[in-house]
Amino acid sequence: MEIRLRNLRRNYGSLHAVDDVSLTIPSNTVYGIIGKSGAGKSTLVRLVSMLEKPDQGEVYYDDKRVDNLSKEELINERRHIGMIFQTFNLFSSRNAGENIAYPMEICHMDKDYIKKRTEELLALVGLEGRGKAPISTLSGGQKQRVAIARALATNPSILFCDEATSALDPQTTRSILSLIKEIQKKMNLTVVMITHQMEVVRDACDRVAVLDAGHIVEEGLVSDIFSSPQTDVTKDFLSSLTNVRESMVRWSKDGGHYTLRFRGSTTDEPIISSISSVAGAVFNIRAAGVQVVNGEEMGVLVADIGPDEASAEKAVKMLKERGVSVEEESKEGM
Amino acid sequence: MEALQSLLDARMWSLVGTSTWQTVVMVFLSTIFSMILGLPIGVLLHVTSSEEQGGIIPRPVFYSILSRIVNILRSFPFIILMIVLMPLSRLIIGTSIGTMATVIPLSIAAAPFVARVIESSLKEVDPGVVQAAKAMGSTNWQIIYKVLLPEAMPSLASGVTLTIINLIGYSAMAGAIGGGGLGDLAIRYGYQRFSPAYMFVAVVVIIIMVELIQFIGDRITARLIAKR
Repeated sequence: MEIRLRNLRRNYGSLHAVDDVSLTIPSNTVYGIIGKSGAGKSTLVRLVSMLEKPDQGEVYYDDKRVDNLSKEELINERRHIGMIFQTFNLFSSRNAGENIAYPMEICHMDKDYIKKRTEELLALVGLEGRGKAPISTLSGGQKQRVAIARALATNPSILFCDEATSALDPQTTRSILSLIKEIQKKMNLTVVMITHQMEVVRDACDRVAVLDAGHIVEEGLVSDIFSSPQTDVTKDFLSSLTNVRESMVRWSKDGGHYTLRFRGSTTDEPIISSISSVAGAVFNIRAAGVQVVNGEEMGVLVADIGPDEASAEKAVKMLKERGVSVEEESKEGM
Repeated sequence: MEALQSLLDARMWSLVGTSTWQTVVMVFLSTIFSMILGLPIGVLLHVTSSEEQGGIIPRPVFYSILSRIVNILRSFPFIILMIVLMPLSRLIIGTSIGTMATVIPLSIAAAPFVARVIESSLKEVDPGVVQAAKAMGSTNWQIIYKVLLPEAMPSLASGVTLTIINLIGYSAMAGAIGGGGLGDLAIRYGYQRFSPAYMFVAVVVIIIMVELIQFIGDRITARLIAKR
């Protein structure tokens, strides 16, 4: 199901939490919305998931407008979307299986069907036979798996993930993300992932929108955004990621004024050495590594370029001409 | 010596037995009726409270009126409430004297207390869980009986325990208008007839009842928590 947002606005007093956001989230994709805390992502997801009404603007699921529904229609529409949360929000008064059964119970589904479907869903998220487990006995990752099963119980066409992996350790995050991706394919879901972690976007999303101060500042394919980030906000997110990447090798802690990103075909060419000889530039490589974004390999090189400003400038210009994205670190920034 | 003698008095024990039974009946019935009255009011208070307080249908004006009424009823001294409610007892039970007649004022006196206990238990429910239930398309009614009440169950159980113990105290006071029970026994025999043994035994039985209820209540609460 395609989701379209038209000029959405939501204010809290004088704060423009969501300020004129228009966005199309294509059907059958994993769509990331990334932003720092306070950027307006929580408000945006509440607007898109019909938990809150916008002050202005429209939300469409395919061609159906959903931001102005009556109470009954709203409840009915909500039964066709799934949502998971950072804090899981499972019912502690119910065991794992009963949690998964809840959305089916409230739709008054047949008891035998609920039982059968619960077992199916437990298997789908890799928790066969754990239906009777009290919630407190489950690990964080298992809790999120139960939450995913619960969200999918009524065969929704949209799954909202509100910081779904932020409370999990990196390894569990990866397993939950791959589960979401797998389920997305299996059920042809439109998955909307709200996050502040670039790792999540890198590992799971097809497209991403970058949210800052209530605005979408950048939107596109994840591989495009990673190789040529346009705004400072995006670069900031990417730089935090480059530093934590395990596949990066760093020779020295200081230096590294330029970050070079090579995509696809460019990674096969001897660009550095050819530019070095033509521009008379000297590259001092501080760190290097490979990022894999949605199956596309991307080389990352952190380097200083010398011997002087002029040749560095020339080298940067030539790099860009050859399709290498170059990001310059501000001097105070280091 | 005299006290010891009357302690061994068989007549006293039969009186204590009757009074204990009257107290049990009073407390049991008024617990049930105060729950029936107080539970809906408590739920109503919680769901109409502000969004920050966890209200799912915020109605600020309604909430503040209801809250005010509950406060006024709670601040009534019980003994006065009983006298005020005597005509009501006469209307419903047919008499304003006796064990059954005191159940009416007891229930009404405890209902606002129960309402507050329920309200504060429901307020403790994780708002995230309620949000999730809402996002899944629960109706308000489903949120109340499938999420709020079950999620608050351990806390509700200790609230009920508290209510029963309070009612034991109130029921002792009900003796003052001829309601019978252990309080009545202590006042009529222990105080007015100068038989401290009666007073002593009545108080001990009340203490044992309170301890027993607290013990059972704590066990039930612990059980409910352990099952989660």
